[in-house]
Amino acid sequence: MDWGRLRFFLGEVLANFTRNAGMQITAIGTVAVTIVLLGSFLYVRETLKTFGTGVLSQIEIAVYLKDGVGDAQAKQLAVKFAGDPRIASAQYIPKREGLRRMHDVLGRDFDTSLLTANPLPNSYHVKVKDPDQVPAVAASIAKDPRVEKTDYAADTVQKLLKTASVLGRAGIALIVLLSLSAAIVIANTIRLTVFARRREIEIMQLVGATNMYIRMPFIAEGMLAGLLGAGIAIGALALAEHQLVPRLAQTLAFVSFRVNEGTLCLELLGVGAAVGLIAAWMSVGRYLRA
Amino acid sequence: MIRLRGVTLTYPNGTRALDGVDLDIEKGSFVFLVGHSGTGKSSLLKLMYREQVPSSGEVIVDGIRVDTLRRGRVPKLRRNIGVVFQDFKLLSHKTVWENVAFALQVTGTKTRDVMRQVPRALDMVGLSHKSRMFPSELSGGEQQRTAIARALVCNPKLLLCDEPTGNLDPSNTTEIMELLQRINLKGTTVVVATHNQAVVDRMRRRVVRLEHGRILHDDEKGYYFRGLGQAAVLPG
Repeated sequence: MDWGRLRFFLGEVLANFTRNAGMQITAIGTVAVTIVLLGSFLYVRETLKTFGTGVLSQIEIAVYLKDGVGDAQAKQLAVKFAGDPRIASAQYIPKREGLRRMHDVLGRDFDTSLLTANPLPNSYHVKVKDPDQVPAVAASIAKDPRVEKTDYAADTVQKLLKTASVLGRAGIALIVLLSLSAAIVIANTIRLTVFARRREIEIMQLVGATNMYIRMPFIAEGMLAGLLGAGIAIGALALAEHQLVPRLAQTLAFVSFRVNEGTLCLELLGVGAAVGLIAAWMSVGRYLRA
Repeated sequence: MIRLRGVTLTYPNGTRALDGVDLDIEKGSFVFLVGHSGTGKSSLLKLMYREQVPSSGEVIVDGIRVDTLRRGRVPKLRRNIGVVFQDFKLLSHKTVWENVAFALQVTGTKTRDVMRQVPRALDMVGLSHKSRMFPSELSGGEQQRTAIARALVCNPKLLLCDEPTGNLDPSNTTEIMELLQRINLKGTTVVVATHNQAVVDRMRRRVVRLEHGRILHDDEKGYYFRGLGQAAVLPG
């Protein structure tokens, strides 16, 4: 493609884009609003995900050993844990250590002077590599004859896992719905511009332009609208992040707001461009077939 | 150049626009299609540049079976056919030069070739001096000449004209018909659908008369109404 042809093509796209400025602004605005919603959703989801995996990775299985099981037998159990590929680490906590820790946590309210003997069993704190595996690992450890019982924050784990998966699915549904609504608005806008330019299209078909060639300016237009909308949305989101996150981080100190902004921006631009492209393709295609 | 065999065209609403038409048009000839409005003149032209597909029958243009041509091949066919209409079909926001260049640019012609071919086409229709004007600044005849330049700029072998003088006054009509004759003299096959009796009777070219979708008569050096020309000269 030589420079003159490229200039003609870009000139056509730009001229048509500005000629229908009103409609284009509507389309760009809709894309921007959609992508702001989408972006904030992705941002929150990303934050929750980081938070969730953080919590999940800290979940330990408490393995309480039977009363008669001594230190030597307990050490053998460590070998078994080491052989299990699902287990990240296992820390042995003898009953004396257990009591001391309890004392540390509860402080003065916990009066050891009343005790005649240490009521705590020897125990292990087992960390699992994959949070999903926690229930299974706990169950398999419980079968060991030396183990009295296992315990873990079952509810918390289950709830977190469930929330994560529901959020994931709801997210996909939301993204699809939002993108669809943006695509419909762009498609309508482009249908109007196609209608406004039906004479040009008619002449192009008459002199033997290929359908692909006729489509291209409209597709470029749609993608331009999508990208501009996404750009505006990203600007708005960046501003919001700049304003809100430092304040939130103070209040919610335990949540880390580490989101990969670069990837998020690329994703949003990609969605904008794709929405514009699909919308344009559909609305011109319908006209060309007629 | 053009060969139609048993061509029938029925529109979805049941109207039969053409009914068993057989027609041969030689390369380099000049042919009038005449008849009242709605007798199938436009439909016949549309079949030739594949705007319409016949319900049955064969349409062959320059050796190509147009009626069975795949959709993807239509653009290539049309680059070899120029089409001119009563309403000019010019783009009002483009100058004369841009309107003519448009036909080349949208078919992916190299800029160098555009620069060479557009002035030649404008020269042919005598509008070189008005190339920077917009259609609204031109007379009807000049607008039609612009449209003809656009139809010719690809050097088509065939020029189809659907009522080319329908919107023009007599002097512009003469001007356009003279231009079409000059184009024909350079070897382009020209087919003109018209119901302008004066034009047809003055030019004395082949006349194909359609009525109710059929060919009523087909005369070399004919008149708009068969026999009327002779009748007009006989009683001297």
